[in-house]
Amino acid sequence: MNTIFAMVCASLFLFQGDYQKERARMVADQIRARGVRDAAVLAAMESVERHRFVPKHLRHDAYEDHPLPIGHGQTISQPYIVAAMTEMLRVDSDSVVLEVGTGSGYQAAILARIVKRVYTLEVIAPLARRAVTTLRENGMTNVTVKEGDGYYGWAEKGPFDGIVVTAAASHIPPPLVDQLKPGGWMVIPVGPVFAVQSLMLVHKREDGTITKKKVMSVRFVPLTGNH
Amino acid sequence: MTHLAIFLVGLVGIAYQIALMRIFSIAQWYHFAYMIISICMLGFSFSGTLLALVRRRIAGREALWLSRCTLALVPAPALCYALGQMVPFESFRLLVEPIQSLYLLWIYLAFSLPFALVSACITLGFMIEKARVGKVYFVNMAGSGLGALVVILLLYRVNPVWVPYLLAIPAAVAHLVLQRRADWLRTWRWLAAAGILLVLVGPRPIRMSEYKGLSHAGALPDAEVLERRDGPMSQITVLSSSMIRETPGQISNYPMGRLGPLPEQIALFFDGGGMSVVNRLNGEPSEAVYLDYVGDALPYRLLTRPEVFIVGAGGGTQILNALYHRATHVTAVEADPNLFDLMEGSLHAFSGGLYTRPEVTVVHAEGRGYLQAREKRFDLIQLSLLDSFNASSAGVRALNEDYLYTLEAMGLYLDRLAPEGMLAISRWLKSPPRDTIKMAATLIETAERAGIREPARHLVVIRTWNTATLLLSKVPLSAERIAAVRAFCAERHLDICWLPDLRIEETNRYTILETPEYFQAISRLLSAERESFYRNHLFDIRPATDDRPYFFRFFRWKALPELWAHMGTEWIPFVEWGYLTLIVTLLQALLACVLLLLPLVAPALGLFRKRGGEIPGGSKQVGTAAVMFYFGALGFAFMFLEMAFIQKFMLYLSYPVLAVSVILTAMLFFAGLGSYFADRYRGVGLLPRTFAALALVSAVYGAGLSPLFAASAGLGEAWKILLSVLLLGLPAFFMGIPFPTGLQRVSERDDVSVPWAWCVNGCASVVGATLGKVLAMQFGFRFLLLTAVVLYGVATIAYPALTRDKLDG
Repeated sequence: MNTIFAMVCASLFLFQGDYQKERARMVADQIRARGVRDAAVLAAMESVERHRFVPKHLRHDAYEDHPLPIGHGQTISQPYIVAAMTEMLRVDSDSVVLEVGTGSGYQAAILARIVKRVYTLEVIAPLARRAVTTLRENGMTNVTVKEGDGYYGWAEKGPFDGIVVTAAASHIPPPLVDQLKPGGWMVIPVGPVFAVQSLMLVHKREDGTITKKKVMSVRFVPLTGNH
Repeated sequence: MTHLAIFLVGLVGIAYQIALMRIFSIAQWYHFAYMIISICMLGFSFSGTLLALVRRRIAGREALWLSRCTLALVPAPALCYALGQMVPFESFRLLVEPIQSLYLLWIYLAFSLPFALVSACITLGFMIEKARVGKVYFVNMAGSGLGALVVILLLYRVNPVWVPYLLAIPAAVAHLVLQRRADWLRTWRWLAAAGILLVLVGPRPIRMSEYKGLSHAGALPDAEVLERRDGPMSQITVLSSSMIRETPGQISNYPMGRLGPLPEQIALFFDGGGMSVVNRLNGEPSEAVYLDYVGDALPYRLLTRPEVFIVGAGGGTQILNALYHRATHVTAVEADPNLFDLMEGSLHAFSGGLYTRPEVTVVHAEGRGYLQAREKRFDLIQLSLLDSFNASSAGVRALNEDYLYTLEAMGLYLDRLAPEGMLAISRWLKSPPRDTIKMAATLIETAERAGIREPARHLVVIRTWNTATLLLSKVPLSAERIAAVRAFCAERHLDICWLPDLRIEETNRYTILETPEYFQAISRLLSAERESFYRNHLFDIRPATDDRPYFFRFFRWKALPELWAHMGTEWIPFVEWGYLTLIVTLLQALLACVLLLLPLVAPALGLFRKRGGEIPGGSKQVGTAAVMFYFGALGFAFMFLEMAFIQKFMLYLSYPVLAVSVILTAMLFFAGLGSYFADRYRGVGLLPRTFAALALVSAVYGAGLSPLFAASAGLGEAWKILLSVLLLGLPAFFMGIPFPTGLQRVSERDDVSVPWAWCVNGCASVVGATLGKVLAMQFGFRFLLLTAVVLYGVATIAYPALTRDKLDG
């Protein structure tokens, strides 16, 4: 019995080692190679165990260069996209960030390693509950998950230094713009399933005016509720 | 009684096909539905192969096997549908989950079986009625024609999942009529067993992809499906949720804090996908203030109290937009009768009775047909985002013929404008840009065709972050109007892509792109280098025409190496999925056909030959090559000609569902009549004369139908239907002659080649349906017509060879 237990532990340890290697490879080949330079982002991507945020049967693919389904028609984004969106927010250890669309909780976990506090909203209840568990199991204590409609943001916790919307929307929700601090940045994808979406970077200038910039083409699942 | 049974089997076959198409369009997407059904149709060829191989074993017992096949057909459509529903197939995951390929294979096998049974029944009918194959073909075609009509009407009343169950009735009758009275008790027992089986299985709900909009919206905490309407065009699901918020043309810079939140909305999902909304209107349209902050509000800034024509009334947002901007009268057309009923029925109060207001006229019609039939002029003709964002961006509409966005359609819209009127079109922005550029090219060429010397002075293009609104003014834009466009965009933070005197520094200010690519592209379209711009562009941005009515087809083969070189495997999302699926379908169909035909061709090639040179399952067999050429050419030709004619008549009739029903039924019925004629009058020169007639009719129709349709556009719909049936009946009649003529010939000389011929013809028809689409997209319908005539010529030449014995047979 002890032998079996030891073998299981050893194999778990070996797998762990494999995942670490895969993570390092992911950061080097997919993220750094594509131009993400922010040291805090790279460190977060290398330390957060992405495989814990994907369904068990897809763990072998967790560090591959594509999104993966997580159920309820949602996906966990491609690693590079998570890193790029995080870098675009230009946040630091004093920042408070709002995430709309918790999904698996992976993006929140990455942010949690970089900023002071993450507030995240998920409208699909089972996903929100699962994310709470996953984040807790991974020791993320500075993330608060709430079940609810992301369109109106989280006014009581705002304004935010950065807002990241991790699902495609059809227009920029005005309440989210209101909850963005002057000088803050919001990243939001717009577009459809199955095709190319545009990742938009929204900046609120100090005078409160807004500019939007199309940063790149990506693929996301749509923001639930077809906003 | 064999004839009645074959008639009913034909009915079951086509009804099952149409129902499956509806089911898969709801479960997945139209282009996947097209792929799946196309492949499943190869079940037709499978039974041909099987019967050719087992011909000897069933010799003399064809009637018994026909009876057995009809009995199997009673539960088969429903059972196979239920089997297909067992696997959680997700087309979206095909690339990341290998098991999805197995699910797809399972679905192919399950759904093919009823087609194989239908085909087996018809082939056995040919074998039983050797001397009267033309008559068998006639009843099969007549049954198919009636089946098409019945199922389309049925789909108005019942959910498509019920159709496979209801098809048990005609299948059971087909089985019953084949029985002797003495066997009735046993027959009833079998039928009762089939009935019990069907009851046990029960109608399974459609397993909708979790990636469809309705699946997402249905998961919202307060989502409630209020109503569901089935119809042959689409299934409409009415869903309420406080989280539905959709704005046409995308609100921009809307001061929500000052002007209040968006109104409550109810979502309408079409086949679980493309979403449209109905806005709550409690009082007057002037409440809908947010509609002043969308790109679609631009024409109303330039026109004072216009009379408006809206293509696609939908949930009424554009009607509301027009009323908010104080239009004097709004005429809107809506092609989907179910939507029409909903808006005038259960959603009437919620929508503030938009469809029935005195200043609004909503007509159940297709936009172009409606305008074509009338001389009335409008100040504004508007086509706004008629397709859903998802469908458009994913390129899944690439397969659809769309006559609203062709050069001829735009010419008509321009003609129906009042002297100072405007045409306004909104489109989704695509990445990389192509849709809006193609639409700009279409408007520019339309203006040129209409004799406008400087289209640049008539054109306005603005964009939000994911939509563009294009205006084409009948008169050059005045300085006041140009200033009004600038003011409108500045207030709403919208980007101007084209204005007559636009400077490059004025572009790309609010939603910043890497380069002002829309301005640059339109500048080139308006310059002398337009042709080279078309030629060298990564996508097909040349305007669509009625001959190639594929506005949504952007894919170009020559772009593939370039995309590959620049993006590696990341090029995949940039490909138009609809077109890619079509090509994958064609490749799969070709592969399947090779597999299906191999057992039959192999003996002729010297493979698997038994001792003594005998061919498995056969006795004296006519030339393999002749059968291949004759029935293969006919399969392709029939399909090509059918597609070319159907698209012509679809354009003529104003009501799409009616058009499909009438055209399909008439086509099949008259083709059947041709077969009957061929059966009765077997003259030596029948085939060459038929070929001559088809060539003549094709030439006359190719040149003369459009002017005839234009001249008779003002006729009442009943007259147009009558004219269509008569016009369509003529070529269909001739198209029905060659197949039974050839089949009669081979059945008289050889007892193996009937299923063999059926198999070849089936394969050619399936491949032909897909290949025809590819050819029409690439070269246009005239080319398809010409190809069909050439193929009929090939068949005519191959015909005499059918009478020669195979040398080694």
